[in-house]
Amino acid sequence: MGVFAFMNGRKKLTPGEMAKERLKVVLVQDRIKLNPDVLDLIKADLLTAISRRLEVDEENIEISLAREARWDKLYANVPIKRQKLAFEWDPPAHTPSANLLRGEKIRVEIEDDEDE
Amino acid sequence: MDSRVITITSGKGGVGKTTTTANLGTALAMQGKKVAVIDSDIGLRNLDAVLGLENRIVYDLVDVVEGQCRLRQALIKDKRLPELYLLPAAQTRDKNAINSVQMEQLCQQLRREFDYVLIDSPAGIEQGFRNAIVGADEIIIVANPEMASVRDADRIIGLVEAAGKPEPRLILNRLRAEMIRRGDMMDVADVLEVLGIDLVGIIPEDEMIIVGTNKGEPVVYEKRSRAGRAFLNAAQRIQGEEVPLDEVEAAPSLVERLRRLMGFGPALVEKRVRS
Repeated sequence: MGVFAFMNGRKKLTPGEMAKERLKVVLVQDRIKLNPDVLDLIKADLLTAISRRLEVDEENIEISLAREARWDKLYANVPIKRQKLAFEWDPPAHTPSANLLRGEKIRVEIEDDEDE
Repeated sequence: MDSRVITITSGKGGVGKTTTTANLGTALAMQGKKVAVIDSDIGLRNLDAVLGLENRIVYDLVDVVEGQCRLRQALIKDKRLPELYLLPAAQTRDKNAINSVQMEQLCQQLRREFDYVLIDSPAGIEQGFRNAIVGADEIIIVANPEMASVRDADRIIGLVEAAGKPEPRLILNRLRAEMIRRGDMMDVADVLEVLGIDLVGIIPEDEMIIVGTNKGEPVVYEKRSRAGRAFLNAAQRIQGEEVPLDEVEAAPSLVERLRRLMGFGPALVEKRVRS
């Protein structure tokens, strides 16, 4: 359950569950006065970071704040494009073979096999 | 004496602060403690009526604070329990009649005489609320499992933390097992997930609360009342005893239902009493 189901509207929630999910959101808004513009900036930052590694569905990214058990949480719901997973890999400095790879970007492609 | 001052508060009005204070105070006195219950809702006095002591008031909280009388003169002894006392609120004054310093001094004074001092806070988050918590060792928040109440409870948790008090504990009041079973009401776990504080009690919705208030008798005296038993359990937990939190089963067990069908259960007893 949780916030994701609520955001996607995937499952029909009972009134009791609706109250809980709505509360989680409203309590964060009560506590931290976060400008919606700031949330948009965070969304853009996340998109930039994640897009370096994964091809994502930009249109359907959802960012929200929710409160659970005294913690304010930032939820990011980022759909990954299923057709093709592709990312560019910068080997981190600690990779043993980093010397060989440094300066070269390796393109990794994972074909989604429909038959499987 | 190792005495404790506990404030019962909620933010939102009408969730059961006064009922909770009256019942916890009575329960603690029944369990052998010396208890004072303080109505700090100045201008909207009610705790006296819930305890059935409304006809005995001579002096009140404001009189004590202003030095019009001594503390002992204002304390009203309960009808049944010799170790339970009420300090009523003033009815004709407003909540600005006393300040935090005076309230803290009063708490210190009461500590010397009692094992437990329970303060019934006014609703809201203004001066009256601040006065109610200033002298407290512990805060108990009363909430109902519905949005407005839980939202206000969260606000109170923040204010209590900001005041440098220990994390408050929760009494979840007026749970309706049938609504929870249908998914129409948040259950205990839902509220705890959102608020993230510890429980001291779960009180089922119970018509006997209203009956008790009408009679001026807290429901803890009523052995058949589920809410009464739940308050007794909460009072034991306040004293540090381990009592399992099983007040609200979503539905009566099969055995319980069979017992009721055969006429041995509480449901039938209640019907007989009413007819």
